[in-house]
Amino acid sequence: MGTLDGKVALVTGGRGGIGRAVVSRFEREGAHVYAADLAEGGSLPGDGHGTGEFLRLDVTLEGDVAAAMDRVRGERGRLDVLVNAAGVEIEKTIEETTLEEWNRCFAVNVTGMFLTSKHALPLLREAAGRGAGASVVNFGSYDGFIADPGLAAYCASKGAVHALTRAMACDHGPEGIRVNAVCPGYVDTPMLRSFFAGEASGGGGKTLDQLQSAVRNVHPLRTYGTPGDVANLVNWLASDEARYASGQLWVLDGGLSAQVQQMNL
Amino acid sequence: MRLSGKRAVVTGGRQGIGRAIVDAFLAEGCRVETCGRGERPDGIDGAVGWTKLDVSDPGSAGEFASAVGEIDILVNNAGIQVEKTVVDSSDADWDLVMGANARGVFNLCRAFIPIMARGGSVINLGSISGRAADPSMALYNASKAFVHGLTRSIAVDHGPDIRCNAICPGWIETGMLEAGFALAGDPEAARADAIARHASGRFGRPGDIAAMAVWLASEEAGFATGQLFTVDGGLTAASPLRPGLFQ
Repeated sequence: MGTLDGKVALVTGGRGGIGRAVVSRFEREGAHVYAADLAEGGSLPGDGHGTGEFLRLDVTLEGDVAAAMDRVRGERGRLDVLVNAAGVEIEKTIEETTLEEWNRCFAVNVTGMFLTSKHALPLLREAAGRGAGASVVNFGSYDGFIADPGLAAYCASKGAVHALTRAMACDHGPEGIRVNAVCPGYVDTPMLRSFFAGEASGGGGKTLDQLQSAVRNVHPLRTYGTPGDVANLVNWLASDEARYASGQLWVLDGGLSAQVQQMNL
Repeated sequence: MRLSGKRAVVTGGRQGIGRAIVDAFLAEGCRVETCGRGERPDGIDGAVGWTKLDVSDPGSAGEFASAVGEIDILVNNAGIQVEKTVVDSSDADWDLVMGANARGVFNLCRAFIPIMARGGSVINLGSISGRAADPSMALYNASKAFVHGLTRSIAVDHGPDIRCNAICPGWIETGMLEAGFALAGDPEAARADAIARHASGRFGRPGDIAAMAVWLASEEAGFATGQLFTVDGGLTAASPLRPGLFQ
């Protein structure tokens, strides 16, 4: 028996690095899962198409989002779990960021979350009304608490996600809808590989292997996370075991942010 | 002058941050009484009162408060750092660190709050290490988290008569910091690496912390209570993942 037997879930960014892991974990736990994304293979280079029922979705377009929820209602008649994992990263300081890039980052990371949550609410409310409980899991980040260099718009957008998470939990808790955010630290995904290989990180001259080996050593657990680690937490928050969990920001980072900077002494 | 006519007690005024707070309070027109475990240090202003006092001893703290009488400002600065993990720490280490940093703050607060003037300000020295951990500083980190919790309790229990806040310094140029670098394999490289992690491009100076203490003690901070004020040059605003600093 799975922890999500009989539930229907929709995962935005469902073909991205962490989204894929969430989709396949949900399927193993017995849920019917829609993997919503811009393209079947996701928007960053990955391996193949991933699992879950593909649903083409641009979270920044309200018409797309409304159509997606209509499809879920028509095909399945219910939605128990919404995971807002779609996100983009602009690897620049505010001075280098154009207004267009800033708006794109907020459109996907924040406005997209607003739109999918808003249009999923009627379905989630019905699920909660049946006594099954409904769960929204948003993707925040440790970057919403402390800053990485050259990621200004991303850091700000994740801070907004954290506040939106608490606001949604507050407004819709009385209807039986739980809302939480997971705040991953360094997780091995195409997005973070791109950040580390890029200019903005300040790691110029080092190979990806050298950088990732150094990254391991900055963590108290001496390892960085995998998408599966994050899927473990998302799965718990989506399941009925987490029935008392709402409005919280769940940091999952191998102890990274429990320490003051790790000085080279 | 922002503190004229006020009366303050600052614990641990011999050196470093405590001494800077004593000097800043004096410059703002405050009458200052300070204390330490040893004899009166050389060079301290003649107007400053000195009492030989171990803050960890409840009886002495009470006698000190009776002798000093009513005050407006209490700064609990005295503190001790032992660089060990939990497993390496002895019972004597516990008594030393928790005695000064935790029990000492409790002792002074219990002794002085009943005789503080209405509108008084208690300022405790917490630390960024009470919010996130510095390695091999287990008891110190925990003792500062105690200070943070006690700060909120005092603010809640003793408002509106008394305000209580904590300052959480980051890395401040003191003898303690220099001793740390001296132990590094390459002290100069260690220093450069640590500075590179500060958005300020420098470590703090005792005066940076004293400036915050003056503000918290002053009427300008009349609505500030129960809070932790971090003054660390941006150190803890930044992620520890700094590829430019990887070795």
